[in-house]
Amino acid sequence: MAVRLKASEKILYNALIKAEAQNIADEFLQSGLPNRKNESYHYSDLKLLLDNIPDILENGEFSSEPEFNIAGAYNIFINNGRVEIAKKLPKDVEIGTISGTVFTPENDIVAKLNSALSKESLQLEIKGNLENIIYIEHRSNGQASFINDNIEIELLANANAIIIEIFTSSNNSHLSNHASRINLAENSNLTHIVLDLSAKENRHLYTLTYEVEKEARLNSLIIHKGANLARTQLFAKFVGENSHADFSGLTLAESEQHSDISINISHAVANTSSSENYKSVVRDRAKGIFQGKILVERDAQKIDAKMMHKGLMLSDDAQILVKPELEIYADDVICGHGATCGELDKDSLFYLMSRGIAYETARAMLIKAFLAEIFDFVENKNIHEILQKLIDDWLN
Amino acid sequence: MASVKENIDKETIEQVKKIDVQEYKYGFETKIESDKAPRGLSEDIVRFISAKKNEPEWMLNWRLEAYRRWLTMDEPKWAKLRYPKIDFNEIYFYAAPKSASAPKSLDEVDPELLRTYEKLGIPLSEQAVLAGVEGAKVAVDAVFDSVSVVTTFREELAKSGIIFCSISEAIKEHPELIKKYLASVVPITDNYYSTLNCAVFTDGSFVYIPKGVRCPMELSTYFRINEKNTGQFERTLIIAEEGSYVSYLEGCTAPMRDENQLHAAVVELIALDDAEIKYSTVQNWYPGNKEGKGGIYNFVTKRGDCRGKNSKISWTQVETGSAITWKYPSCILRGDNSRGEFYSIAISNGYQQIDSGTKMIHLGKNSSSRIISKGIAAGFSDNTYRGLVSAHNRAKGARNFTQCDSLLIGDKCGAHTVPYIEAKNASIVFEHEATTSKISDEQLFYCQQRGLDEEEAVALIVNGFVRDVIQHLPMEFMVETQKLINISLEGSVG
Repeated sequence: MAVRLKASEKILYNALIKAEAQNIADEFLQSGLPNRKNESYHYSDLKLLLDNIPDILENGEFSSEPEFNIAGAYNIFINNGRVEIAKKLPKDVEIGTISGTVFTPENDIVAKLNSALSKESLQLEIKGNLENIIYIEHRSNGQASFINDNIEIELLANANAIIIEIFTSSNNSHLSNHASRINLAENSNLTHIVLDLSAKENRHLYTLTYEVEKEARLNSLIIHKGANLARTQLFAKFVGENSHADFSGLTLAESEQHSDISINISHAVANTSSSENYKSVVRDRAKGIFQGKILVERDAQKIDAKMMHKGLMLSDDAQILVKPELEIYADDVICGHGATCGELDKDSLFYLMSRGIAYETARAMLIKAFLAEIFDFVENKNIHEILQKLIDDWLN
Repeated sequence: MASVKENIDKETIEQVKKIDVQEYKYGFETKIESDKAPRGLSEDIVRFISAKKNEPEWMLNWRLEAYRRWLTMDEPKWAKLRYPKIDFNEIYFYAAPKSASAPKSLDEVDPELLRTYEKLGIPLSEQAVLAGVEGAKVAVDAVFDSVSVVTTFREELAKSGIIFCSISEAIKEHPELIKKYLASVVPITDNYYSTLNCAVFTDGSFVYIPKGVRCPMELSTYFRINEKNTGQFERTLIIAEEGSYVSYLEGCTAPMRDENQLHAAVVELIALDDAEIKYSTVQNWYPGNKEGKGGIYNFVTKRGDCRGKNSKISWTQVETGSAITWKYPSCILRGDNSRGEFYSIAISNGYQQIDSGTKMIHLGKNSSSRIISKGIAAGFSDNTYRGLVSAHNRAKGARNFTQCDSLLIGDKCGAHTVPYIEAKNASIVFEHEATTSKISDEQLFYCQQRGLDEEEAVALIVNGFVRDVIQHLPMEFMVETQKLINISLEGSVG
C-alpha cells in the first residue's frame, strides 16, 4: 500500500522519475522517507525533519584551495557532485569517474536515493603503500541545492593508505546526500577519517559502507560538527577471517543541531574482532544520537566485539538518545556494549578549581580530556592538529 | 573440593536427573466440566462476559469502548518474534469450571480443583504452607481459566484493613476504588493486547493496602490455564496507600497441548507516597514441545506507577515458560525520590522466543532505577532484552544503572540486547552495561577438575550467573526457582 507523500517527498519522487530511476521511484512511493517506526531511524524521523528540498543545481563558485592544507596530500574535490582532481595522483592510485553509480547500496531508501540521483561516481583503486594522504573535500556551494555524490574505493591486497574526507558548504540550506563504499582486500590497511564541517544551514546525510576481507585492518573515525541535521549511517561487514577494525566517532552538537551516528557492524565470519568507541557532547538544545548494532551471524565463532558510547551533556535542554544493540547468533563470542551519559563530574571540577584553576578553564580541560581519547590513535601530525583545533574552536 | 560441592544445591542436581529431557512437570490436565462462552470475539461476547460477572453497567460500557477501540488497532510488529497470525475467532474468551460459582469457603470448592492446586504445590488451605518453607504464611488467589476460584486468608487480612479479592468482586464491592485506579497506569488504549484485555478480561486479583499498613504476609495469585483453545485474560490491580508495603507473588502454569494458547494480562501497580510494592513472577507456562509445537503465547502489559514521593516499585521475574513471551514490566517514576527496580531471569530453550525487558520512565526529581537482566538462551531459542530508560527534562538528578548479561548455550540459539537510553536533562547519570558470552571453557574445566561432572558444573555456573536476581526473590520462590532453572536448561549441555 502506498503511503501518502508529503510535499517534500513528492519533490524527491519527481527527482527520481526525472533521473529515470523507475524502480527506486516505485519503491519510494511505497515507503516514503523513513520515519520513527523504522527502527534504524527511530530517533531521526526524516519524514518530519526533511522539508524544503532544493533543486539539484550544479553551479557555484569553488576555490582551488582546500579547506585544510596537508603537506603532500593528494587533493580531490567534489563540487556539488562533480569530481575535480587538483593534482596528479601517484602511480599507486588509479582514479576515474563513472557516470551514475555502480554499487548496490544497503537496503535503505536514503542510500538508494543517492545511487539513483548521483550523476558521477569517483572511483579510486589503491595498491601498494601510499606515503601521502588522500584528501577528499566534498563542497556544497552556491544557492541551496540538493546534492548527491558517491565514491567507491578499492584497497587492493596489501595496500596501505590514509584517506580523509571533509564536508564543507556555503551558508545555504543545502541538502547533501553522500555515499562512500570502501572495500579492503586481503591484508590491506586503511585509516579513514570523515569530518562534517558543513554550515549550520546544511542538511547532511551520509551512507558509509565498508567491507573488510581477510587479515585487513581498518581504522575509522567520524566527526560530526556541522549541519543542522547530520546523519551518518555506517555499515561494516567482516567477510574474511582474522580481520580487525576500530570504529570511533565524535559528535559535537550545539544550538538546535540534530546529530545522529548510526552504525551497523556485521561479523559474518569467524575470528574477526572490532571495537566501537563513540562520544557525544551536546549543549544548548542540541540532540546527540547514537545507535550501534553489532550482529554476529550464525557460526561466526570466536568474535570479540566491544562497543562503548559516552555522552556528555553540557546544558539542561540538550538531549542524548542512545540505542546500542547486540544481535548474537553464535555462542563462542565475547560481545559487550556500554553506554553512559551525564554531566561533567563535579568532584573533578572541584578538584581542579580548588587548585586555583578558573571554572571555565577547568571545564574546558575536562571536556578536552574527555574528547581527546577518541583521536589519540591518529599518528599523522597534520591531521591530529586539525582535529585538536576543531575541538578547541568548538569549545571557545 | 568438598566445599565447592557443598555450594551446589544437591537437591537441584537430583531434581534435574529425575526429570527426562525437557519434560514439563505441570503439563497435566484437570478433567473438570466447564462453562464456556461461544468461540470467537464480538460485542456479544463482551456483553456475555460482563453479564456472567454480574457487572454494573458502567463496567460494560467501559469494556465496549475498549473493544471498539481494539478493532481499529494493529498488532505490534516491532518485537523480534515470529509466530503465525493469531485467529481471535478460534479462541474461547471465557471458560470457568462449572462448580466454581462463588464458594463461601474452601469446603465448597470442587475437590478436583483443590487436587489440581495441591499437585501444583499451591496450598489453598490456610493451615498448609508452601512446600519447603516453614512458618511462612502466604495468601493465595487461585485463578483457574477465566475465574478466581478461591482467595485465602481474607479475614485475617481484612483485620488490617487490607482488601485482597478477585477483581470481579472488587468491581462490585469497591467500585469507587476501581473507578479511580483501573486503567490509570495502563490506559485503555495503551497497546493492542492491553486494549483487548480491557474488553475481555475475566478475572484477576485486586489488592488494596491502606495507609501505613505493612502487609503481614505474602500475597499471591496462581494462574492456571486448563481448558482447550481458551485464552486467559486476567487483570491485576494493586494499590499501596501512603507508607504501606506489600509483597506479591505470581505463578503460572498450563497443561501440555499441541495448540498455541493466548494469555494477555494487564497488571497495574500504584504506589503512593512512601509506599513500596514488590512484585515477583515465576512464569512457567507450557513452553511447547521439543519441535516447538504448542505452548502459550504470553503477551503481557505490566506497569507500575510510583505516583507518590519516595515510593518504590520492584519487579522480579523468572521467565522460563511460554512459547512466546512479550512482556515489559515497567515503572513510571513520577514521584520525587521514587525508585524502580527490575530484576529478571529469562531462560529460553527448545524453540521458545522471549522478547522481554523493562521501561524506566523518570519524571520525578532524584528518581532512581536499577535494571539487572540475565538472559540465558539454549536450544533453538531466541532471547531478546528490550528496555527503555528515559529521563524527562524535569527529572533532575535521575539515576539509572542497567546491567544485562546474556549467556548462550549451544550454537543454534540467539541472544539479543536492544536498550533505548534517552537523556533529556544534564543532571542525570545513566550507566548501561551489556555482555554476551558462553560459559567459558576455563570455568567448566575448573569445576570439572574439582570433580563435578559437566551438568553439575553448568548448574553451578548458571546459578552463579543468575544469583544477583535470585536473591531478590521472596524466600518462597527462591528454592522453586533454582530448581526451575536447572530443569529449563536440562538437555542443553553438550
